[in-house]
Amino acid sequence: MATEDARYRQSSQYRLWSFTPAHLASLRETTNSLAQTQISNRLRSSDTPVDPLPNFLTPAEEYQILNHFTLELLRAAPYCHLPTDIQATAATFLRRFYVTNSVMTYPPQELIKTCLFFGCKAEGSFIRVQKIADIFPNTTGEMILAAEYVLCQGIRFAFDVRHPFRALEGSIMELRRLGDFDDDRINRAHKRTRDILKFSPLVTDVYFHYTPSQIMYAAMAIADEELVQCMLREAFTGQGEVAREKIWGVIEGCKAMLEKEPPEKMNTYWTDAESTKAIKVIRRKLTKCRDPDRVDLVALQKSRREQATHKPKAKAGLQADEKVFGNSNNEERESKRRKVASNGEDIFGPPL
Amino acid sequence: MAVSPLIVHPTDALPNPRSVSSPLKNANSAQTSSNGTPLVAPTAPSGAQPASLDVAEQLNEEEKRKYVKGKKLGEGTYANVYLGFLRDDPSKPVAIKKIKIQKEYTEGMAPDAVREIRHLQELSHPNIITLHSIFSSKDQNLNLVLEYLPLGDLEMLIRDEKGVKYGAADIKAWMGMLTRAVWFCHENFVLHRDIKPNNLLIAADGEVKLADFGLARSFSDPYKPMTSNVITRWYRPPELLFGAKHYSGAVDIWSVGLVFAELVIRMPFLAGNTEMHQISLICQGIGTPTEENWPGVTKLPEYTAEKEVHPVRGRDYFLSMFGTVGTHGVELLMKTLILDPKKRVTAREMLNHKWWQEDPKPTRKQDLPKKSGGQEKVGADLKRRPGMVEDEGKGSKVARKLDFGGGN
Repeated sequence: MATEDARYRQSSQYRLWSFTPAHLASLRETTNSLAQTQISNRLRSSDTPVDPLPNFLTPAEEYQILNHFTLELLRAAPYCHLPTDIQATAATFLRRFYVTNSVMTYPPQELIKTCLFFGCKAEGSFIRVQKIADIFPNTTGEMILAAEYVLCQGIRFAFDVRHPFRALEGSIMELRRLGDFDDDRINRAHKRTRDILKFSPLVTDVYFHYTPSQIMYAAMAIADEELVQCMLREAFTGQGEVAREKIWGVIEGCKAMLEKEPPEKMNTYWTDAESTKAIKVIRRKLTKCRDPDRVDLVALQKSRREQATHKPKAKAGLQADEKVFGNSNNEERESKRRKVASNGEDIFGPPL
Repeated sequence: MAVSPLIVHPTDALPNPRSVSSPLKNANSAQTSSNGTPLVAPTAPSGAQPASLDVAEQLNEEEKRKYVKGKKLGEGTYANVYLGFLRDDPSKPVAIKKIKIQKEYTEGMAPDAVREIRHLQELSHPNIITLHSIFSSKDQNLNLVLEYLPLGDLEMLIRDEKGVKYGAADIKAWMGMLTRAVWFCHENFVLHRDIKPNNLLIAADGEVKLADFGLARSFSDPYKPMTSNVITRWYRPPELLFGAKHYSGAVDIWSVGLVFAELVIRMPFLAGNTEMHQISLICQGIGTPTEENWPGVTKLPEYTAEKEVHPVRGRDYFLSMFGTVGTHGVELLMKTLILDPKKRVTAREMLNHKWWQEDPKPTRKQDLPKKSGGQEKVGADLKRRPGMVEDEGKGSKVARKLDFGGGN
């Protein structure tokens, strides 16, 4: 077996973020229903219980909203002067995040900023958070940072995303080497494929189902199918028709997904009355059914931090004791107490 | 391509979590308790997961639950290191590195943590420290579950001249492991950028593992500049000292060469006190970089050299200093220390060198010299901020600023 395949299977993209379509769908359903249960509980137990409960978004509606905000992210990215691969990484982070988190739980309009910021970081470009904050209205650096941790956990700390852009450059070199096609044709296919790769894979689920090379070939097949067929013939010489047909089948599947979201949509999307209206309806629904505790990420982050610093077992005891014994200038007593406190932890186990 | 014929995968280590499929595949299964089953009763019946957890939080709890945190091995400003073990199999130890929130870094998660996690997630090789898992604790600190490497690091062995004796066969074994680690990084388009003896940790079975990926990065595209402010000074190649912004795997190879030299003479070969001093040591110890031996070198942004030009050192000089590893060993060493990075040997070429085949054969890893008291050293090594040299004797001389700025 080709060891390049084996190497790809070692990547976090394959290990953690590749699924069959059925599995991805079931994950999204689970995420959606969990969010519904939790938000219902929160609404019912709030000071002024909400009754009746609002209508929740369906998984299909969540997907529509996610696509909408992926497009928003791609629209914002050029204003940050981000190179293609960082844009793509940011978009991938957003889509991965919302596999295990519902848009009803964490607001996507906030997450896209954090994805852009952390996408830069993950690609080794440590830009100031303020630079991203500046391009959005009513946004502070604090707001962007508030969701960073949630995002990292949501993407399962897989910071390395494999994109098909370099694969395309490699294929173009390969095509030139073969010498069967004239330069103009190759250049045209190069440009078209690149345009597709910058958009279509990021607003569909192909990253979850296909490898970067499959995505690249599929995009190129949209641009000029004959070029791809020629490369496949070349690659599979001596390996029989069956292997080649199988790969071609996979590429065709990917191609069909990509064709649903052509790059032209990037220009027409915001003026298309029908899609704008549809999104408006879902967004209105979303404002009514979202998690009331997690809309304000800054406040959420603060309360989580506070919880963490006030909870620790030993410390809590110390604070109480301090009130009784006065300020703890007595070093000896202090260290003894610490000892007892930390020993106690082992005997009874951590608090429930 | 990715699998070297020289690699033998360890069999007694933890089952590699990477061989299993995505943990998300169990996302629907019943969750077990995360509320801290007491250590005395690891088999206690588990309750239901608190209902308020998202799928992401549940997955995190699931990872966290797989390990039990034990005693603290080291405490530092960057991270604390704990000994831990697998809950299901207490005989399998791990090191848990808890990265602290950096108060002085106000831009969220620290760059070194991001780099380390990013690259360790992708690199799986017997000579690179294994990242078993990552989870976050309630206080939002990152916990990296790393392979437990109890026998300290290579620096410890090199320095203990009285207690640890080793010879050419041992050096060959260690260099083999280091070279395979670096080859694997480069094969995966990763530059380590901080190779030095105390970043080479030793496993219970003697296997050497490259650790500390806090300065690592992927190979850059041709148009994208990189920072030249990387690699601890003593191991920094001339092109970085001259401020090169476009460089290659050759920077790591230079460091490998200096580790090689240090293994032989048991002290740092070129221990400069300042960058200028480092350059002058390179001129004296290896030769002055000139347009003749390195076309284009004078165009590098920070090129400097002393007036007196030292000719590039020949074989006899290296043989007199490093002769214990034999003529082929010395030849390989010389190739790693070629001034012009374009002519320097690559990791792949290194692995094909004849030195490995000739006698003496490299020592089997279980027979390599060991040193006791490694556990404290593990804590000390892992708790360090990646890419930083702490104030331990030589620290004050080597301490350097880190460049987290845009241009890396």
